[in-house]
Amino acid sequence: MPSHPLRVAVVCSSNQNRSMEAHNFLSKRGFDVRSFGTGSHVKLPGPAPDKPNVYDFKTTYEQMYNDLVRKDKELYTQNGILHMLDRNKRIKTKPERFQDCKEKFDLVITCEERVYDQVLEDLSSREQETLQPVHVINVDIQDNHEEATLGAFLICELCQCIQHSDDMENEMDELLQEFEEKSKRCFLHTVCFY
Amino acid sequence: MTTSEKVVELLNQAALIPADEKLIVLKQVQELIINKDPSLLDNFLDEMIAFQTDKSIEVRKFVIGFIEEACKRDNELLLRLIANLNMLLKDDSVNVVKKAILTLTQLYKVTLQWLVRSRTGSDMQEACWDLVTQMKEDVLVLLDSENDGVRTHAIKFTESLIITLSPRTSDSDIPKRQEGDISLDKVPKDHSYIRYDVLCEEGKIALDKLLKFMVHPAISSINLTTALGSLATIARQRPMFMSKVVQAYETLHANLPPTLAKSQVSSVRKNLKLHLVAVLKHPCSLEFQGQISTLLLDLGMPQSEITRSTPAPREQRKRPRHEPYTEGKKVKMEPIEDDEDKEEPAPLIAPKPAAVPVAQSAIDLTAEFLHPLLNPENVANLVLISMVYLPDVMPASFQATYTPVESAGTDAQIKHLARLMATQMTAAGIGPGLEQCKAKEDNAGKEDDADDDSGTKDLLIKRKMPALVFGQAISVLGGYSGNTPATETPTTKRLPEPILPSAQTKMTGASGRKKVFRLADVIQPLSEAQIEQLTSKSVNRILHSEKAIAQSGVSHVRVKLLSRLVTQFEGMMKDEVLQFILDDIRTRSDLAFALLYQEYNTYLSQLPAGLLDSYDHCLFTLLSGLQEKPEQRDGLFTKLVLEAPIITESALEVIRRYCEDESRVYLGMTTLKELIVKRPSRQFQYLHVLLDLSSHEKEKVRNTALNFLKRMYEKDHLRDYIEKFALNYMQLLVHPNPPSLLFGADKDTEVAAPWTEETVRQCLFLYLSLLPLNHRLVHELASVYTEAIADIKRNVLRAIEQPIRGMGMNSPELLLLVENCPKGAETLVTRCLHILTDKDLYHKRVPDVRFLIPVINGLEKNEVIQALPKLIKLNPIVVKEVFNRLLGTQHSEGSSSVSPLTPGDLLIALHNIDSTKCDMKSIIKATNLCFGEKNVYTSEVLAVVMQQLMEQNPLPMLLMRTVIQSLTMYPRLGGFVMNILSRLIVKQVWKYPKVWEGFVKCCQRTKPQSYSVLLQLPPAQLNSVFERCPEMREPLLHHVHSFTPHQQAHIPSSIMAVLEANKKPEPKPVEPVMEKEVSVFKCLESMAPAVSTPEEAPAVTSSKPEAPGHEEPAVLRPAEEEEPMEQEESEPVIQEDAAESHPQVKLGYEASGSFSSVHEPPITTKGTSRLITLPSRLSETDWLGLADRDEGKENRATKVLSTKNMYIHICMYIYTYMCVCVCVCVCVY
Repeated sequence: MPSHPLRVAVVCSSNQNRSMEAHNFLSKRGFDVRSFGTGSHVKLPGPAPDKPNVYDFKTTYEQMYNDLVRKDKELYTQNGILHMLDRNKRIKTKPERFQDCKEKFDLVITCEERVYDQVLEDLSSREQETLQPVHVINVDIQDNHEEATLGAFLICELCQCIQHSDDMENEMDELLQEFEEKSKRCFLHTVCFY
Repeated sequence: MTTSEKVVELLNQAALIPADEKLIVLKQVQELIINKDPSLLDNFLDEMIAFQTDKSIEVRKFVIGFIEEACKRDNELLLRLIANLNMLLKDDSVNVVKKAILTLTQLYKVTLQWLVRSRTGSDMQEACWDLVTQMKEDVLVLLDSENDGVRTHAIKFTESLIITLSPRTSDSDIPKRQEGDISLDKVPKDHSYIRYDVLCEEGKIALDKLLKFMVHPAISSINLTTALGSLATIARQRPMFMSKVVQAYETLHANLPPTLAKSQVSSVRKNLKLHLVAVLKHPCSLEFQGQISTLLLDLGMPQSEITRSTPAPREQRKRPRHEPYTEGKKVKMEPIEDDEDKEEPAPLIAPKPAAVPVAQSAIDLTAEFLHPLLNPENVANLVLISMVYLPDVMPASFQATYTPVESAGTDAQIKHLARLMATQMTAAGIGPGLEQCKAKEDNAGKEDDADDDSGTKDLLIKRKMPALVFGQAISVLGGYSGNTPATETPTTKRLPEPILPSAQTKMTGASGRKKVFRLADVIQPLSEAQIEQLTSKSVNRILHSEKAIAQSGVSHVRVKLLSRLVTQFEGMMKDEVLQFILDDIRTRSDLAFALLYQEYNTYLSQLPAGLLDSYDHCLFTLLSGLQEKPEQRDGLFTKLVLEAPIITESALEVIRRYCEDESRVYLGMTTLKELIVKRPSRQFQYLHVLLDLSSHEKEKVRNTALNFLKRMYEKDHLRDYIEKFALNYMQLLVHPNPPSLLFGADKDTEVAAPWTEETVRQCLFLYLSLLPLNHRLVHELASVYTEAIADIKRNVLRAIEQPIRGMGMNSPELLLLVENCPKGAETLVTRCLHILTDKDLYHKRVPDVRFLIPVINGLEKNEVIQALPKLIKLNPIVVKEVFNRLLGTQHSEGSSSVSPLTPGDLLIALHNIDSTKCDMKSIIKATNLCFGEKNVYTSEVLAVVMQQLMEQNPLPMLLMRTVIQSLTMYPRLGGFVMNILSRLIVKQVWKYPKVWEGFVKCCQRTKPQSYSVLLQLPPAQLNSVFERCPEMREPLLHHVHSFTPHQQAHIPSSIMAVLEANKKPEPKPVEPVMEKEVSVFKCLESMAPAVSTPEEAPAVTSSKPEAPGHEEPAVLRPAEEEEPMEQEESEPVIQEDAAESHPQVKLGYEASGSFSSVHEPPITTKGTSRLITLPSRLSETDWLGLADRDEGKENRATKVLSTKNMYIHICMYIYTYMCVCVCVCVCVY
C-alpha cells in the first residue's frame, strides 16, 4: 500500500455531473481528488436538446446557478440542474479543464471514451519530464444523475481497491480484470508519463 | 539564525520524528541547501544521505530525489552520490527501485553531459562513469523484472537511453524542455574514456532489447502500452528508427498478445492508434504513410481523420529535406555502421546508398515477393485452406480489430495484405525476405569479423547479466569494475563509493576496504562449558516464558521448539524440562506429549541402531512423576500411557506400581486393560502384569485384578493365556514347598519355607475366579489336589467354597468330576457336594427341608434345631434316616463330621419343639424313635435329659412321658425318678395339668416307691391324686400306718385327713378336661407293655381307684381362681383345633402305621390334638407373640413362593439331582 494517499483526477466533459459526483464521493472517503472537464466549453442542458446552456470554464458554479435561476427556476429545479450546481459550488468554485492543469496524478479516471481519448492525447502531447507514470482508466458513465451516482460508487470502489493494493503498478492489470468481471463493464486502461 | 544553524536544527529534528513529519522537515532542508544556499550542500550532504537507510520507503524515495537535485545542482557531487544511488537501485522496496530508475534516467544524461564537458578526466570521473554504465546495464536487466511497475520504469529508462545514445538530427522532434539534453551527436569521438562508438552500440542494443521485449507473447497490457508510447517517442525524436518502429507496430497489430483481455485489446488498439497518429504527424513519416494509414484504417480511424493527421502539405518540402537527413545520418553514422548488430532481425542494408529505401527489411522483401502472387485464385485457395483452421470462438483481438475492408481488391489493399502476410511470415521465421537478410547479415558479419569485437562483447554482456542480478543483493561495490568490457582500461579503477553514515559502516561491513564480511572472522568458538551454559540458559528462558508466550498465542511453537531442543541436546536440560513439566503437569501435558513424541521420533530416525534409552527415560520420568503425585484424578496417567508410542519395560513397571496403589488401583488397571485391548502387539506382556497382580497380597489390588481378568477372560484371544497362567500357578501347589516365585522378587524368603494358607491361596486366586466362568477347569484342580500334600488339601478345600457355589449344582463338568472322581480327590468331591448342597440351597433357593438331610451334620446346632419341626413331619423312613445321621448310627466307619447334636441334645430339642409348629403326634413319634435307639440313649443319657428338662421353666409338656418311658426302659432309674418327682413338687407341678397327670401316673406306676413322694404333696394335691386314682389311697394309708409312730407324727394331720377321708369326689368344671388329658397316659399305658418289660404291666393294671378326698372342692378352687378367664376363653379354641386336627392326625397315623410298631388307640389322637393348644393357655402373651411371628413367616413364604414360581422347575430338577447326589454319597460312604 502506497504510503501517500492516491492522487486521483476524475474527468468528464463538463466537470459538472459525473466528475463532480465522483469528486464529492471520493473526497468524502479521504482521497486526494480533483475533478476536471475536457470539453472546450461547459455545457448544461437547456430548455430544449438543441439549446444547451453554454459557459466557459471561467464561469463559477455560483454564476451558473444564478443564471439558471434567473432563466427558469422551475425547469432547472425540476431537472435537478440547480441542485447539482448547488452541490458543485460547495465543492469548489468553478469547473476546471484538464488540459489546463499541470498537476501530476497517480490515477486519472475518465467518464467516457471521448474524454479518455482527449486525456490521452493531452498527456501524450505534453513534454515528458519526470517520466512519472500516470494510469488512465475509462469508466463509461451515462450523463445523467442516476448513472452518475452509480458511477461514483464504482469509481470509489475502484480507487479503494487500488489504494489498498500493495504494489499498485504490479497489480493494476489483475485488479482491473477482476473489477471488470465484477461490474460487468469494460475499462480502458493505459499508462502515461509526465 | 543562520541557514546553517537552521539546517542543523531541522536535521536533528528529523532524526527523531516519525516518517510523515520527517519528510516535511527534510524537504525544508533540501530547499535550504540546494536552492537557498547551495554552499551548504556539501556540508550537509552526508547527513542527508544518512537517511537513505531510513525505515520509511518515502524517506528513502526522498533521498533519491535529493540525490537527483543535488547532482543536478552540483555535478561534482555525482562522484560522491552515484554509488549511493546504486545502493538504492537495489533496495528491497520496489517503490524505491522505481524512483531510483527514474532518477537514473535523469542522472545518466546529467553524468554523460558533465563528463563530456569536463574533458580533463580524472580517475574518479572515469570510475563514476563506469559505475553509471554498470547501473545502466542493471536497469536494462530489469526489463525482465518480475514486477510490472519496475518493468514499466525500465522501459521508460530504455527509451530515454536510446534517445540519449543516438544522434539528434535536424528532423528530430525535440521537446523544448529537452532542448539542452545531451545526445550522441554531442559526444566527442576522442574522449578519453567515453567512446562514441561504444555508446552508439549500446543505444542500438537497447533499442533491440526494447523491440524484443515488445514482441514477447506474454507482455502485460501496461508494459505494452508503455512500450508503444516509448517507440512513438523514439520515432519522433530519432526518425532514423522510424522504420523499425513502424514495423514493430505492424507486427504488433497483426499479432496482439493472446494473453490480453478484451478491454485490454481495445486499450492497446486505442494506444496504437494514438501513437501511430503521433508518428504520422511527424514529417519523416512520409515513406511509411502507406503502412501507417493502412494500420490506422484497420484500427477503425476514418480516412478523413487520417488525412487530417498526415503532414501532406509538407511532403513536397520534406522530401528534399529528408534526403539530406538520411544522408546526413549516414554520414554521421558511417563510423558506426560497421558495428551494425548482426543479431538485428531487420537490419538496414547499411552500406548501400539511398537507392534502396531505408526501411527495406525482411518484411518488405517478403511483401514484395508476395504481392504478385496474390491473384484471386491463390487468395481463394488461401481462404479455403484457412477455413479449416478457424477457431471455434472468435478471439477477442479479432473481434476488436475487425473492420470491414473498404478498399477490397484495390492494389493498395493487396499490398497491405501482402504486407500483413509478410509480417506474419517474418515473425514465424519464414519467407524469402528473411533468407535474403540473413545472407546479407552473414556477409556483413564476415566483413566485420576481423575488427569487430562487439559481437563477443555483446555475448559477454549477456553472460554477465545474470551475474549482475545475483550479485546486486550482495555487494555494494561489486567486483565488476574489472570485468565490464566497456571499461577495459589498463589501470584498475575504483568505482565511486557510496557515502555511508559512520554508524552503518560497520553494520554493512562495506567500509570500502573491500573487506567482505565473513562471520567466521569475527567470532570465536565458545568453550564446551560456555556452550552448554548458554544452551541451557536459552532453553530455560524458553521454558519459563510459558505465560508470556501463551498470551501471544504461539504456545505450540514454544512446545515444538522445546521438545526439539531438548531431544537434540543431551544433558541436564532434559531433566530440567521433565521436572518443569511435572511441576504442573496438568497444564503442561502438551509439552510432555511433544517431548515424548520427539524422543520417539529421534529413536525412529536412528533405526535400526537407535536406542530407546532416551525415550525410555523420558516416559519413565513422566510416569513415575505422575505416579508419585499424591492426587491427580484427571486420568493424565492413563492418557500418557495410552498415547505413548511405546511402553517400555520400566514404564510398565511404573504402571504396575500404579496398580499396586490401593487408592488408584482401579484407574491403573483400567489403563492396563486399555493397553491390553488397544496394543495387541504386546498385549501379553501387559496381560502378564495384570495376571501377576491377581495374586497380589493386597486384597483390593487382587480383587480388582481378578475382576478385570474375569472380564478379559471372555475375550477369546486372551482366554488361553489367562487360563494357562492360572493353571501354571495352580500347578505350583504340587511342589512340596512354595516356589520363591510366590514371594515376589524383592522378598528373599528361603524356598524351603512351608506352605501357608496365604501362599496356597495365592496360587489359587486366579484359578478360582476363573472356575465359575469355565467349569472345565475343575478337573485340573482335582488332578493337582491328588498330588498335593495334606496341608494344601485342607486349604484347597477351604478355598473352593465360593467358586464351587458359583458353578452351581447343574454344572455338567462338576457332575463329570463327581462321576469320575479321581483317586485321592474324594475329599474334594465330597467337599464340592457339601458346598453345593448345603443350607444355602435350602435357605436361598428351595425351602424344602429335605435338602438339608444330606448335609444335616454340616449344620450348626441351632440350625438343626430349627429344622427339626419340619424334619420330623417327613415320611417316617426319611425321619429315621435323619435320626440315624444325627445320632451317628448306621455309619460303618466314623463319619467325616460329627453330628452337631448329641443324642441328649436331640431329645431335649424334641421336647422343646413349639407345638404350634409341629403336631404333638410327630413329636411323640420322633421321641419314640430316639427311645428305639437303646444303645444310644443309655440310662445315663436319659438321666441327663430328664435332669435338664426338669430344670426348664415352664416344664416341657412331654416331660413326664419321657420320665415314664425312661423308667420303663431302665427300671433302675427308679431312684432317680423319685428324686425328679420330689423336685417337681417343689416346682408345683400341679400347675401344669398335663405334667401333673403324668406325675400322678408316674406315682401310680412307681408305688410303693412313690409313696414318700406323694406324702410330700400338699393335702389338696394329694386329694387330687386320689381323685384320679382312688385305688392309691388305701395302699398309701396302709403305708403310712406301717410307719413308726414317730414317723407318723411327721405326717401333717391335713394329709392324714385326706388319706383317711373316704368321700366321693365332687364333679369339677375341670374334670372333663382332665378326663381327656388322661388319654395321653392311657396311650402310654397301652404302649408301655410293648416297650417295657412285662413285669411292669401288672403294676399298671393293678392300680386301684381310690376314693376322692372330701377336701377336693377346696383343692380345686385355687386352680379355678387362678385361671378362670383363660379357661373360658380358650375353650372354644380347643374344640376347634380338636375338630380340625382329627383328619390330619389320622392321616399321619395311617401313614406312620406301617412304620411304627406302637399302636395307639384312635381316642388318643383326640387327646393329642387337644394338647397342642394347651401350652398356649399357660401364657397368653407368649402365644400371641408366636402367632404373630408365624403370620409374618407365612407372608414371607408366600412372597418367596410367588417370586420363585419360575424356579419350580429348577427345583424339581435340583431335587432329582439331589437324589443322585445322595445316592452317590451313600456309595462313597
